[in-house]
Amino acid sequence: MNEKKGLNGRDLINIGIYSAIYFAISLVLAFTGLIPIMLMLLSSMYGLICGIPFMMFLTKVKKPGMILIMSTIMGVLMFVTGMTWMPIPFSILTGIIAELVYRSGGYKSMKAAVLTAGVFPLWACGNYLPLFFQREQYFADRASYGQEYADAVMRLTPNWMFPVLLILTFVFGILGGLIGKKLLKKHFIKAGIV
Amino acid sequence: MKEQKQFFVLDPRTKLLLVFVEAFFVLAVTGGDRLYWFRILFAVLPFLLLMASGRYQTFAIGVLVFALTEYMQKYIFPGLHGAAAVIMMVLILLISRFLPAFLMGSYVIRTTKVSEFKAAMERMHMPDELTIPMCVMFRFFPTVREECASIWAAMKMRGIGIGGSKGYEMLEYIMVPMLSCSAKIGDELSASALTRGLGISKVRTNICHIGFHAADYMVFALVIAGCVYWISGVIL
Repeated sequence: MNEKKGLNGRDLINIGIYSAIYFAISLVLAFTGLIPIMLMLLSSMYGLICGIPFMMFLTKVKKPGMILIMSTIMGVLMFVTGMTWMPIPFSILTGIIAELVYRSGGYKSMKAAVLTAGVFPLWACGNYLPLFFQREQYFADRASYGQEYADAVMRLTPNWMFPVLLILTFVFGILGGLIGKKLLKKHFIKAGIV
Repeated sequence: MKEQKQFFVLDPRTKLLLVFVEAFFVLAVTGGDRLYWFRILFAVLPFLLLMASGRYQTFAIGVLVFALTEYMQKYIFPGLHGAAAVIMMVLILLISRFLPAFLMGSYVIRTTKVSEFKAAMERMHMPDELTIPMCVMFRFFPTVREECASIWAAMKMRGIGIGGSKGYEMLEYIMVPMLSCSAKIGDELSASALTRGLGISKVRTNICHIGFHAADYMVFALVIAGCVYWISGVIL
């Protein structure tokens, strides 16, 4: 505990707890992906709704590395839940970007925190990568979902859609961050939890 | 977690390999038709493991769900059309596809103690920065579910829930208590872990004995055989 540098046990436990909440919420949300249009909006929904726990998490982040670890864990969990290996490097990349954004605010600026809440959910876009890069295989695997579902998803995902999704996720993430900020002010700071 | 008699015990590392194989070959359907039988094998394996580890209830539920989805897929859905039927069908297919992986995950989580997982991760020289948060996550999932159920019940009593008119309020009223109690539990958890020496920089000891046995080698042989078969198919 005497070490000033590096992450200590408490930090790591905080990462674990907030990752658990984050992942639990995203699992519930993932079921809305059965509707094609919702599948496309899934990463934005993560940003919007998980923004609240994430802002809470950011108040606990005081050292470099914590956001990156959380992002990496999300990527690994996505691999385990069957989204191919692509989300792992992607989530590490977005984790590093989010880390840098929050770092620029000195790990305490509220503005940087909201911006980070916009960048962080981009990890979820990694789930779409196979959809764009291995299109044939993606639909061959899901052929059993029925032609109607495949057609609907296909119509919604021309290649230019990926940057649009990134931007959309970012915007919704910021929105989620703002809601989170409001709730933090309203409830947690008053109650002395943060 | 209550102790249960197990007929054979797999090393945590082997279980991890099984989860990865399940994710890579079964869920992500890597390898295509060539690995069809391999995939079937890995769809059956979780059932066997659940049996062997004495988790009969999960096993029974798994079999029931599997039978039901198969039945509906074969006999009921071909005749249905329309949006609702499509959504139902996707749901059913999703369940039948995720079921083996889900059961495998359930088997691994139920039969692996957190200390065992940590011991295995240490053997594999994984950094603490990644393993401790993951251990905490596994420890914390049941808590999240419990707390969520309680909060849900409390809010229902006050008339807040699905069907309520204000979606935003529902989000706030569920999320805020959820987070504030998680923050408290988190503090308690860290205090408990720190008293057990999580914070010190020395190497920590672990009471769990882990090691590979015959059953582990069997699983390894199986997976390697599958991989070799797959790669030979790609190359040739």
